Amino acid sequence: MLINAIASYIATLCFAVIFNIRGKNKYWAAGGGMIAWVTYQLALSVGISQVYSLLPASVLFSAYSEIVARRLRTPVTTLIICALIPLVPGAGMYNTMFAVVRGNTSEAIELGLKTLGQAGTLAAGVAFVSTIANITTRIRRRFPL
Amino acid sequence: METGRILHIATYAGQIILENGGETYRVEETISRICQSFGIEVAEGFVTPTGIMASASKTPADVRSVIKRVKHRTVNLDKIARVNELSRQNIIYPMPLDDFYEKLVEIDGKKAHKPKVVIGAAAVAAAAFTVMFGGNLADAFAALLVGLIARLITASISGMGVNDFFVNLAGGAIMTFLGLFTVWVGIGEHTPLIIIGSLMLLVPGLAITNAIRDTLAGDLVAGVTRGAEAIMIAVTLAAGSGIVVGLWIQFLGGNI
Repeated sequence: MLINAIASYIATLCFAVIFNIRGKNKYWAAGGGMIAWVTYQLALSVGISQVYSLLPASVLFSAYSEIVARRLRTPVTTLIICALIPLVPGAGMYNTMFAVVRGNTSEAIELGLKTLGQAGTLAAGVAFVSTIANITTRIRRRFPL
Repeated sequence: METGRILHIATYAGQIILENGGETYRVEETISRICQSFGIEVAEGFVTPTGIMASASKTPADVRSVIKRVKHRTVNLDKIARVNELSRQNIIYPMPLDDFYEKLVEIDGKKAHKPKVVIGAAAVAAAAFTVMFGGNLADAFAALLVGLIARLITASISGMGVNDFFVNLAGGAIMTFLGLFTVWVGIGEHTPLIIIGSLMLLVPGLAITNAIRDTLAGDLVAGVTRGAEAIMIAVTLAAGSGIVVGLWIQFLGGNI
């Protein structure tokens, strides 16, 4: 698990470099990727399905990104784009393609639907948090403490 | 005169954001914000991932409009953050129009990371992803090589001005071939992990994020376009990879 966490941190950090994030922001972005992957692995180990495990993972990393982006005064997207990468269902894509190449249609359809489901769950998690964050900013603006 | 110049500068700022991977709603907001900070109350932009249309008017009789086509897109999140910050700052501490323009030119001219750094980062990222998916050290080393060579080739192909979809197709094919090859030679052990780890480099993370955020912002045209882009990238990647896997099974056989 520790190796997993470190690997996801390094992978996201490299992506932050590829996407040209400068300064200390890239270390924060990498933290988001690590949170995403560790949560996903934890959810899987508890026995939650491969599709549904992505929901807690995406909710947590987006919440982290929203909070950190406000602290760092940087657009939220710059963090989310990097932190989301480890959760993109690349493995599902590859396995679907592999089933197609071997002519295993029923498996291909099953895996393809699962991959689409994973992408959808990921999107739902990000959308959920971003909407909540929007509402909170609006409430704060209307009722400043 | 002044209205037209302000609008030009505002769309220039929008163009920088759009060209470097920003969301379209952010471009629209930035254009309106910059125009307002220079005293034009009525300014609207209509932005799609491939172009900007904006118009501004100080008096009803004096309407100016600008259309800017965005042809090539890269990813440089640093520029987005900087333009965003500049446009927000200008509301609180307004600066002269010329200074604002100079700052935009300065941001636009900022160099991205050197190709060497990016290629190195891609190689390390591929290795890290392979470990993340459960690969061992040998797999990580193989993925490092695959990521390095594949990034070198895809970067030089896209430098020649080839369209993005072909770059993805070729990238998927090259990564899969190298992944199979490294195991065949005996560097790595688990072929799928090496291939998936390197394929993660080309996965449409940016398109997915922008599709979600544009849809949420009510920008349906851009949201659907970005979503379609994400699916197209995924399909071309899988197709490139599939062609190689198919040929490999055909000619060399064996279990992959």
